[in-house]
Amino acid sequence: MTGRSRWKSILVEAAVAAGALLCVAPVALIFITSLKPDAEIVHFRSLWPESPTLASFREILSNPEEIPILRWFGNSVLISSGVTALVLTVTSLAAYAFARLNPPGKRPVFAIVVGAMMVPGQILLVPTYLILNELGWLDTPLALIVPAGASAFGFFLLHQFFLGIPRDLEEAAAIDGCSRLGIFVRVVLPLSRPAMATLAIFTFAGSWNDFLGPLVFLDSVDRYTLPVGLALFQTSYFAEYGLTLAASVLCTLPVLLAFLVFQKHIIEGIALTGLKD
Amino acid sequence: MRPAGRADWGAYLFALPFLVLFASFVAGPVLYGLALSFTRWELLAHEPPALVGLANFREAFGDPYFWKALQATFRFVAMATPITVGLALVVALGLNALRGRRQSLYRAAYFVPTLITISVAGILWRWFYNSEFGLFNALLAPLGIKAPWLTDTAWAMPSIALMTLWWTLGGPVVVLLAGLQQIPAPYLEAAALDGAGPWQRLRSVTLPLLRPVLLFVMVLNVIGAFQVFGQVYMITRGGPEMTTRTVVQYVYETAFNSYRMGYAAALSWLLFAIIAALSVAQFRLLRER
Repeated sequence: MTGRSRWKSILVEAAVAAGALLCVAPVALIFITSLKPDAEIVHFRSLWPESPTLASFREILSNPEEIPILRWFGNSVLISSGVTALVLTVTSLAAYAFARLNPPGKRPVFAIVVGAMMVPGQILLVPTYLILNELGWLDTPLALIVPAGASAFGFFLLHQFFLGIPRDLEEAAAIDGCSRLGIFVRVVLPLSRPAMATLAIFTFAGSWNDFLGPLVFLDSVDRYTLPVGLALFQTSYFAEYGLTLAASVLCTLPVLLAFLVFQKHIIEGIALTGLKD
Repeated sequence: MRPAGRADWGAYLFALPFLVLFASFVAGPVLYGLALSFTRWELLAHEPPALVGLANFREAFGDPYFWKALQATFRFVAMATPITVGLALVVALGLNALRGRRQSLYRAAYFVPTLITISVAGILWRWFYNSEFGLFNALLAPLGIKAPWLTDTAWAMPSIALMTLWWTLGGPVVVLLAGLQQIPAPYLEAAALDGAGPWQRLRSVTLPLLRPVLLFVMVLNVIGAFQVFGQVYMITRGGPEMTTRTVVQYVYETAFNSYRMGYAAALSWLLFAIIAALSVAQFRLLRER
């Protein structure tokens, strides 16, 4: 490598690294600052806490009457797991039918479902609220779990993946007398673990971080999910930055840990949906 | 396996649960919302919805709050989208010049902010932007600067756009990087052999081949930006003087504070029409000719 192009590549990497640092720094600040006492947050003197303390965490966890944060955590876990299980089940079955079997009217139905990915979510807000109201599901976890099952994104992702699986194994299983459901469960699903894992992580993180849905469809404070609980909390404990930051840490940690463990799957999944057409 | 081409009604047994959910919670609500937009329905009045023809749309055209919200939304899109997609492209090109573990490490770092839920991101940036004891003004204090990040009508929307840039940059970076990695190396090598410099290779080989992916990223970003809500709800609540109250926030308030369901549905269909028209325009402009 010539001297000039080496300098150039060092400069490129320095710029990329500086940008990456700017992205991560605010997240790191949540964690670092949650260890400061309130006085140090309000009068910023240094990045690191001068007298680090877990007081904010203790206070937020020891006050379940006023701040039911563990309750919100539990609600979030229940709803996000429910959504993930439902999405994986219904979209994988449907995607298999469209990728491998031959439902009549396949093309138009497929076009409608995939086209729906372009529909802006805000258009669904009012009608979905009224439908959930008729069903009596408002202010229950069902309001957030059942509609989320209609994931056109999940259907599309798995459909594209199933198309790429070689047919030989399925044909061999069919000759051995395996039923279609048997082929799906015993042959196709085990081969689809990476795609299913990607979809599971996406769906879980999307549901965990969903804000508008729980804000509109839930009413009672003890049924809130973490993000909406935090928003409410911020309005009443506006000046207590230590508490809000400690709550933010508890809300962020699970998704961040899942990301660190499954990083490769998540990023490949995003790339996949952006590239296949 | 059945021979291809033969209709197989049994396949619908597999697809039925998903299709029922899709019809009930996506396709159905879209049409239901359209029908609602032609009705007057005050949910708290305990009266059945009444057909009013185009009255909601007429009202919207004469509603100064709607125009103000639309203006705020366009300002946001004009600030946030070009800078987000443009910077994402620059970052993706930079990442593409790196290899191996370092590339995936930086890529992950750019993606981390997208994992932060909006209420946490909002709490954090409200603290950053606070004029009295916020982080930004504390860092700027030695320079004698005290910026009105959220309190000045001219500053508030750019502040929201800056926060959005941080929050949403990662997705486009990842997709654009994947697009760059799909460009076959021989194309670029051939151009280099023909004497094309790095700038010329970018303009004549890389960008044309990246066009479909860039189009996808841009259309999705515009669709997302027109629906901005969480940032504004958490950070400014639409203020100061409603300069950051966007259309989705206005729809939200019309539906769930005033309970005017028909009017709210009409407003969201107007926004949908704008988004759809702009998406089609982008496809026309950027499609491979």
